[in-house]
Amino acid sequence: MNEVSLLRQIRSDAPEPEREAVDQARAALFERIHADAIPGARSVPAKRHRRARWAGLGVLGAGALTVALVATNLLGVGDWRGGADPAAANALNQAALASIDTSDPALLPGQYLLVESNSVYGNTTQVDDGEYVSYLTLNRDKLYVPADQSDEWIWERGARVPYQSFNAEGEALAQREYAAAGQTGETLRAPNAEFYGNSVIPDFEALPKDPQQLLDYIYKTTEGQGISADWMALLWITEALRTGVTPADVRANLYLAVAGIPGVEITEQTANLDGQTGIAIGRYESKDDSRQDIIIDPDTGTLIGERRIDYSGDWGYPANTVRSFTAIKTSVVDSAPGGGTQNGHLDGEGCTDLGSGAFQC
Amino acid sequence: MSSDREDIFRARDDPGAFAAVFDKYSALVHRYVARRVDAQVADDVMSETFLVAFERRASFDGSEDARPWLLGIATNLIKKHARLEAKAWKGLVAADLGEVRLDAIDEANARLDATATAKRIGAALRRLPAGDRDALLLYAWGDLNYEGVAVALNIPVGTVRSRLNRARRKLRIAIDPGAARDEEVEHERGLAPASDS
Repeated sequence: MNEVSLLRQIRSDAPEPEREAVDQARAALFERIHADAIPGARSVPAKRHRRARWAGLGVLGAGALTVALVATNLLGVGDWRGGADPAAANALNQAALASIDTSDPALLPGQYLLVESNSVYGNTTQVDDGEYVSYLTLNRDKLYVPADQSDEWIWERGARVPYQSFNAEGEALAQREYAAAGQTGETLRAPNAEFYGNSVIPDFEALPKDPQQLLDYIYKTTEGQGISADWMALLWITEALRTGVTPADVRANLYLAVAGIPGVEITEQTANLDGQTGIAIGRYESKDDSRQDIIIDPDTGTLIGERRIDYSGDWGYPANTVRSFTAIKTSVVDSAPGGGTQNGHLDGEGCTDLGSGAFQC
Repeated sequence: MSSDREDIFRARDDPGAFAAVFDKYSALVHRYVARRVDAQVADDVMSETFLVAFERRASFDGSEDARPWLLGIATNLIKKHARLEAKAWKGLVAADLGEVRLDAIDEANARLDATATAKRIGAALRRLPAGDRDALLLYAWGDLNYEGVAVALNIPVGTVRSRLNRARRKLRIAIDPGAARDEEVEHERGLAPASDS
């Protein structure tokens, strides 16, 4: 054996890098790649061993974006309190990149972007003995977005139908309330998505373009609302994403903003939502004993949907129940259904539009 | 599977393509640095290496194999941790020498205990001129050939050869002090490597 052979034996049992280190480095790289794709974003390398020092600042985790946010924080901008778990930050960075790469489908004149959403919501009633009874209902909606968004949008809203109940009492209640509501669904038609007098689509163009500034903006906008600031920030982002019409660059920035929310983690690598699978990223809220997830197609960055899981076993739901979800599919179609009015069934019932979304019937 | 050249060239227009380079070589870069310094520094240097590489992707020379380029960047970044690296060499212990150390020592006829040998190797590596040590470790631990080391360190192949010969000789002497006499004889015969260019 010569000296080189012996040298090759030295420290030959050096361990593989830990998963966390690889995730952080990958996330830092993606942050840098993302910065290349989106001017204004920043990145610095992952620095694992400095976490102890950051902990003094109240840090809960250190993903790539969060590392980038440290730099921002040290410059005195924003109130940085940590961010998503590194693996989640990595997945969100990838989703952001994939969103940019995939971009939005191009619509030809006359074509529409069809956003099909199946939304499940909880319904809770307190019965005579003081107990709560709950069941879930489903709405199937189709939103037709015109190539020129100032043109007429068409929104087919399905009737709210019973979806799931958890005991005989709940099932009976669901059927009774469904029959009483007598819903048949409705079709709405309005330029700029101004259904019921107001646009149902947020002004995405007005949002800050920088992920950190966007997150700051969301925290400020939602200040004092919800169960906790972080819970509310994630909910705000979820609501924006679940419209199904966020432009690719805004969607990417929203994903990066999620990476800046403390407590966000990968909750399921392969989550199935209404037949579609993707990676679930979410946050557990101890004050509510529930978890809010967003589910993303990791290949395209497309939002598959969102869900809320209730662990508490309270309010008439069994523990660990998916208490609400929205599953989204988008496609390009050549035509949209006819009919419909700006205010749907409110117009049919002869209601008077008082402005700002208020009606007198 | 795409080649390193394809991935890196593609990343000039499609930055996301660079992820493939990271996935392929992050463990290799980490291991090289962890052996020279420690796992913690390796975490940082691994991360920084790929950020630097991404920044410099436009200047990649188009080789089929990106390892020399990446390990060269990592080697440069390790310089910031020179004191820690020196400490790591000083702390080289018998356990670092691997399973076959005793056989090797027997073969070298040193017949000294592994602890003393480890100390001498550590001291030899620590005292090597940085350029010689880089060449030796890229060759032995980075598994690069002479051309690869030349690319990594941006020096001519002839310089690599002379650096490696010099470093190997010192290492040989550290393992087997008796070799020093042989080296002197060799030198007298004019068989010593050419001087650094």
